[in-house]
Amino acid sequence: MIAALKTFTDRLLGRGDATITVPSFDGALKPNQILEKAEIVAQFDAPEDLATDGKALYIADGATLRRLDGTATAEVRRFDRPISALCCMPDGGIAVALDGREVQVFATPAAPSPTVTFSDASMLAINALAPGPGKTLVATDGSSARPYRQWVHDLMERGRTGRVLVLDLESRSIRTLASGLAYAFGVCAGGNDLFVSESWRHRVVALGADGSQRTVLEHLPVYPSRLSPAPSGGFWLTAFTARTQLVEFVLRENAYRRRMMAEIDPEYWIAPKLTSGQSFLEPMQGAHIKTMGVVKPWAPPRSYGLVIRLDADGVPLYALHSRVDGVNHGVVSAVEMDGALFAIAKGPGRLLRVRLAGIEQELRA
Amino acid sequence: MSDDIILALRKATKLYAGVPAIENVDFELRRGEIHALVGENGAGKSTLTKVMAGVVALTSGKMEVDGVEATPRTPLEARHLGIAMVFQENSLVPTMTVAQNLFLGQEKFYNRLRGIYIAAQQFLQSLNFDVTPTATVGLLGAAKKQMVEIARAVLHEAKVIIFDEPTATLTPEEKKYFFDLVRDLKRRGVSIVFISHALEEALILADRITVLRDGKHVVTDDAAKFDRARIVQAMVGRDLSNTLYGLRKNSVRPAGARVLTVQNLKMAPMVKNNSLSVFAGQITGVFGLVGAGRTETFKIVAGVLKRDFFHGGEVILHGKSVRYRVPAPAVRAGIAYVTEDRKVEGFFETMSVARNIYLGLLAKLPGGRFFLSSREAEKVGKTWVERLKVRATGNDIKVVELSGGNQQKVVIAKSLVQEPDLIIFDEPTRGVDVGAIVEIHELIQRLADEGKAVVMISSYLPEIMALSDRILVSRQGKVVEEFSALDATEEKIMYAAVH
Repeated sequence: MIAALKTFTDRLLGRGDATITVPSFDGALKPNQILEKAEIVAQFDAPEDLATDGKALYIADGATLRRLDGTATAEVRRFDRPISALCCMPDGGIAVALDGREVQVFATPAAPSPTVTFSDASMLAINALAPGPGKTLVATDGSSARPYRQWVHDLMERGRTGRVLVLDLESRSIRTLASGLAYAFGVCAGGNDLFVSESWRHRVVALGADGSQRTVLEHLPVYPSRLSPAPSGGFWLTAFTARTQLVEFVLRENAYRRRMMAEIDPEYWIAPKLTSGQSFLEPMQGAHIKTMGVVKPWAPPRSYGLVIRLDADGVPLYALHSRVDGVNHGVVSAVEMDGALFAIAKGPGRLLRVRLAGIEQELRA
Repeated sequence: MSDDIILALRKATKLYAGVPAIENVDFELRRGEIHALVGENGAGKSTLTKVMAGVVALTSGKMEVDGVEATPRTPLEARHLGIAMVFQENSLVPTMTVAQNLFLGQEKFYNRLRGIYIAAQQFLQSLNFDVTPTATVGLLGAAKKQMVEIARAVLHEAKVIIFDEPTATLTPEEKKYFFDLVRDLKRRGVSIVFISHALEEALILADRITVLRDGKHVVTDDAAKFDRARIVQAMVGRDLSNTLYGLRKNSVRPAGARVLTVQNLKMAPMVKNNSLSVFAGQITGVFGLVGAGRTETFKIVAGVLKRDFFHGGEVILHGKSVRYRVPAPAVRAGIAYVTEDRKVEGFFETMSVARNIYLGLLAKLPGGRFFLSSREAEKVGKTWVERLKVRATGNDIKVVELSGGNQQKVVIAKSLVQEPDLIIFDEPTRGVDVGAIVEIHELIQRLADEGKAVVMISSYLPEIMALSDRILVSRQGKVVEEFSALDATEEKIMYAAVH
């Protein structure tokens, strides 16, 4: 009774659990424009994920797998469905998730047919792949309710059906390591654990081999996505968009949200986006974003670009930003290769390159 | 003097207690022009306009209106000269109606209320102002109040209207309306002076812009010849080579644990959705111009002020959400706030140094004490007087008898005796002599070296840059930018602080 009363007063006054607040970008997440000013290596129609074997960079672009050769990209192979996740295997092979529903593993990137195919009916939104311990592959399945392309629907429905799957390449079996995650989106091995980003809970968790969970990083001001290892230790964590109080508010207003989802074009929902500023029909305009006609970088972001450098324990060291006034938003994947960080800004469809020499010293100062 | 000049100040100097607020400032206002005055806090903008409006008198120099020397000693005298000022905090009587406010001071022996309302209605309509003359002023929004102020100035046939931060409280739509209004006044031949921290507004609206810095005239030029960068450069371009702040930092302390997080804090109208963090072992400098909401934010953290009742945001101390309604629990939780207004909030001026410091210690104790020990008070006072080098002839000396610098040290000692983890210094060296400034700066640095989380709010950019490890820039109620002390420049900080 007392708990119910407290919940009611908290909701009324906006306190306790009902406090609608968003952490700020400060400390290690201090804003800069490094990602916005990054070199644009290539432009794609539908870039999705990156992977590297240490020698070459592979890019998932719609249904096409491409390889970056210097400054030019070459088509490696083409699939019948869009690629939703990509990873290079330690033995030189490559794994791809197709439309979030099927995972195919190839002995080499150009191999004519897959050596293993995982096609379970429960797989719906496979959005990240990473080599696991032994001969396994680890996948995050963002949602069991919505396909990958409908991630925003899953957020608005407050989805809690994400899973981490272990795909055994030898036995060809699938094991669920964790379930009930609020949109699992990104996985990377770290020590004896698997680091998994849980987008809708704005955190990164470490999963033990037995499925036990430990929160590594929480209260992020963004929705975290894919993770990749940094050669010098630690990880790169991307964030495809940032949180705002308005979206947090909408996520608490169930009746409003249901009606918005039923009646409004998803393009104009009060929801995060991978790109913004395209239409006058968008929510969050005017004085929220502009002062005297100038888009202010510190305005509440409808879309945002961010890559966070984490140490081996998951503590943020520094971050690369494309702020509200920028365009390199919707960063869904980043990998480090040859002293540079390559990142996909899905909003404008760009492959970006940031030379890392000196950046760490500059940003950690 | 050209006929074109309606108002001029020649070698205008105004001293407050011997300290110049403006010094040898030459200023000319042309007939029918919009003239923007810009500069950071303490640049002398308000003093200059107050001189024009008869609120303060010049110490030396002269003022000319229409080529004739004039020295208005009161706002009424200025009004008779055709000069009216619209203050940021408007000067209307909130309990009276719009019409009554308009005709305030012009009442006849017998006033027919209906007649006043009709006259006000006709006059407001002639200005195309959508304000009801019978409405009570206290119930009007900021924009409408401003309209009434402007209408009153026009009614008094002002040839010069001075606006002090006119758009600070306006919404974007109201601002647009205000700009149209100012342009309309210009068409009527009224000359406008307006103070603004919003550079884009100055650039869009003004015909000419004057930049002041540290009470001195820096530059006056056509607005078309300025851009944002040139104004900012003029605002901050000091030569500090021979001053206390001449040396740049070449290293900063690394951030320790996150001590304080403020998330979406609100306290209307000063704090608007403010978010920031403070880390142990660092000095976090907080810079902002007047109205930036810095002091209010940290007063909320320290329990001196209360955030909004509904959806007021969150204050997280050491990872735990806290809400202090009075300062005592904040003090017990390890937060010390060293006030910017020491005479009002900092100490009991007729009590001794030792007792003032002892009071700080008592505030930390839960429930206070029934019996107080004079001996303990003397001991605590002596310890801190020595530690902070307070120059007092004895512990019994009253705080009011100390110099400004030593008074400030007593205020600091009163906070440090509480052994806080988070110390918030609000304008720590305001009104303090140079020797004491150096000592206070050393103390602040020492506290950060000891691992304390230190916040230093200051309006003086060189001080912020000399002491801070990280710099937060606050503007219109929220932190908008963060810089490392290594890559911050005065221009960058000011660029973020103005809007």
